Amino acid sequence: MIRFENVTKVYDQTARPALDSVNLEIDRGEFAFLVGASGSGKSTFLRLVLKEDRATSGAVYVAGQNVANISSWRVPRLRRGIGVVFQDFRLLPQKNVFANVAFAMQVIGKSRSIIRDTVPEVLKTVGLEGKEHRMPHELSGGEQQRVAIARAVVNRPGILLADEPTGNLDPTTSMGIMGVLDKINQNGTTVVMATHDDDIVNEMRKRVVELRNGVVIRDEARALYTSMIPVVGQSRRLKDASGRPDESATGPGDGSVPSSAGESK
Amino acid sequence: MRLAFILGEIGSGLRRNLSMVVSVILVTFVSLTFVGAAGMLQLQINQMKGYWYDKVQVAIFLCGDGSTAAGCATGTATPEQQENLRTLLESPAVSQYINDFQFESKDDAYKHFKEQFSNSPIVDSVTPDQLPASFRINMKDPEKYQIISETFASQPGVETVIDQRQVLERLFSVMNAASLVAVIIAGVMIVCAILLIATTIRLSAFSRRRETGIMRLVGASKIVIQLPFILEGVIAAVIGAALASGTLWAVAHFFLGEYMSKQYPDTAFISPAQTLLLAPALLALGATLAGISSLLTLRRYLRV
Ligand SMILES: Nc1ncnc2c1ncn2[C@@H]1O[C@H](COP(=O)(O)OP(=O)(O)O)[C@@H](O)[C@H]1O
Ligand SMILES: [Mg+2]
Repeated sequence: MIRFENVTKVYDQTARPALDSVNLEIDRGEFAFLVGASGSGKSTFLRLVLKEDRATSGAVYVAGQNVANISSWRVPRLRRGIGVVFQDFRLLPQKNVFANVAFAMQVIGKSRSIIRDTVPEVLKTVGLEGKEHRMPHELSGGEQQRVAIARAVVNRPGILLADEPTGNLDPTTSMGIMGVLDKINQNGTTVVMATHDDDIVNEMRKRVVELRNGVVIRDEARALYTSMIPVVGQSRRLKDASGRPDESATGPGDGSVPSSAGESK
Repeated sequence: MRLAFILGEIGSGLRRNLSMVVSVILVTFVSLTFVGAAGMLQLQINQMKGYWYDKVQVAIFLCGDGSTAAGCATGTATPEQQENLRTLLESPAVSQYINDFQFESKDDAYKHFKEQFSNSPIVDSVTPDQLPASFRINMKDPEKYQIISETFASQPGVETVIDQRQVLERLFSVMNAASLVAVIIAGVMIVCAILLIATTIRLSAFSRRRETGIMRLVGASKIVIQLPFILEGVIAAVIGAALASGTLWAVAHFFLGEYMSKQYPDTAFISPAQTLLLAPALLALGATLAGISSLLTLRRYLRV
């Protein structure tokens, strides 16, 4: 569904690349975490998928298509196939919940009757039944993020990108949001979530791709936030799957088998 | 649905930026009024030129009923006098100076008069008898007017010889200068209008960056995102152009039609209807200015 081939992104010639020779494939229907410290290149990865930016070198494929070959007037079609949510929700403050979600359908020309049918259905999926007429300021952070998720998936995109969606939320609320994202993933949507929230990653036990300084240093299925593979240097990354679980791993270590990058594809 | 959505966006944009929109309306109004004023002056010049202006330079008016000139002692010019004048015009002494000449009978004169003064009430009170017949002469060299004048002024049956150009040329040069000034002012004002439209669109795009950001992310097309902004500028400019057209019409109707035509009853003024011919040009000019200016602005400030 998403494939990066040797992708490098340089914003600033004088600084190190934001992404450095990234090779990665995320399959249809997968749920993948993109983890790493602030500035490690997670948002850059998502921006390249959306064609918000161009890769400096290498190729980004979305749904089998090299995004570099998508002409600017067809970029909207690419984006209709991708939903996005952010840490700061980005709701329209003067529109109520229903209107915020409907907005995403209006601007791509969906008919009034389809909007009337679809929006309540999606709001139910994210757990906001009966709150259609609330204004964003009348909602909790978690509820606002649910509205944002509803808006991102109301046009049934094949991919959902989430850039630190729980960054502004407390742990309990965050787990609620994870439940929603998991449900959307169960319905067949590929989900890529950038985060540095270790509790969530440890709880979910999904594929984890770890970035450091723009380099993929780990790619594990059903993994924890912190590697169970001691990472000494980049040369030992991925392939070195024989290491014992890291002492600092906080999640339940039982039954989790670290897999190599090759297996996870 | 998409149309309703775009219209809604335009409405909210106009409301949110009301003071800027009003200033765009006023600036395009003033600038296009100057453009229109230049156009009106040119129309007025054409109107005053009448039927003969571009064809001939010198007119020999024959005696009419009430003529008091020395050569008119015998009353209205007789057919013989008329023939004598024609012979004289065709004689080598005179014909070397002229390209050709035409005779305008009283009826022709009446016809041309009615055309030129079609907007004026004076046309109803004039009959063919009151208009003099004339010879209209196209000079080889308009500067040789004096020779014709000396030859014909004292001929029997001739009331007067007029160098039409000299009479109107000075007035026209003043009017042309005035239109040039109007065009220059219009040019400066149009630059103001373009810059103001650009600023307005930029502010509008900035104040709605949240919406447009979301529209971009959910895959709205470039047209849906940009059209509300472009139309916002175009609508404001078209309102300004409509106001300018209305102003020109009012000037033609009230100032020229009601006031000037009474002050100067023997001058042909343009009609209010003629100024309305300028309106489509002004509307198109306003819309084009706004469209181009907002397109260029959006290209820079509204990423799609
Ligand atoms: N628009 C930009 N212009 C210049 N540098 C940028 C830009 N966006 C990100 N960067 C740099 O790229 C690197 C990766 O940033 P980012 O992808 O936002 O990381 P993360 O989302 O993991 O925090 C950082 O060093 C950041 O400073
Ligand atoms: Mg980020």
